[in-house]
Amino acid sequence: MNRPLLILVGALTLGAAIFTGSYVTARHATVACCTKPADDLDWLRAEFHLNEAEMARVRELHEGYRPKCAEMCAKIAAKKSELDSVLGGSTNFTAGAQTKLNELAVLRAQCQAQMLRHFVAVSQAMPPDQGRRYLAKMKRLTLGSRESMEPSMSDEAGHEQHH
Amino acid sequence: MKENSDPSDDSRISALLREARQAPELPPRFQQNVWQRVEDAQAPAKSASWLENLADLILRPRFALAAAAVILLAGVCAGASQGRQVARHEAQMNYLASVAPTAVH
Repeated sequence: MNRPLLILVGALTLGAAIFTGSYVTARHATVACCTKPADDLDWLRAEFHLNEAEMARVRELHEGYRPKCAEMCAKIAAKKSELDSVLGGSTNFTAGAQTKLNELAVLRAQCQAQMLRHFVAVSQAMPPDQGRRYLAKMKRLTLGSRESMEPSMSDEAGHEQHH
Repeated sequence: MKENSDPSDDSRISALLREARQAPELPPRFQQNVWQRVEDAQAPAKSASWLENLADLILRPRFALAAAAVILLAGVCAGASQGRQVARHEAQMNYLASVAPTAVH
């Protein structure tokens, strides 16, 4: 390999090493500096530009909602384990399993309704435009995954029927 | 001793010497090659290629330092920007896990 080409390749390698090193270091330092796992509401303050009074109201709502959410999660977990025990032993889908499935669906619906009521209450504690943005974002984050999954599954079912 | 030699003897001796000392044979296209080398020597020096110019530029300390500083700065900016996005996403996930555990898991 001739000398100028060797110099060029060496310079490019050195440049890539400098860029990668500085990128990784800066990324790591920023993540370590800006992530505060101690406060769950830190994201709300930064994302929706809330002042201290709004944050205090949101925190109050949040603290009131947490035990209800935990209670609902415990009920859902218990119902899931009941369903598993009904399904576990048999190879048939029994009427008992159907009942447990219905009860689980009711609990999940109640959990979602409670969650949406909380989101509405929090959005009302924010300035109107930020509240609307918060509500839309939370709906998309919490209900969006199921909504995006259902049309794709119905498409697949349609394809199955055509074939 | 004879002081004045016969000129005809001199010419005979010269002829004999010429015969005894034969000139070596020249390589093929000797004359053409000689002229080619003379022309090459007189021609102006060839200009360096773009690669050589670039290599020369890279080896200049001022340019090398400036380029290293720019690359370092670009890396820091890109890393910090990406880090902010990751931190923001993690904070969002923390909040979401606290209000909608079933949506996260």
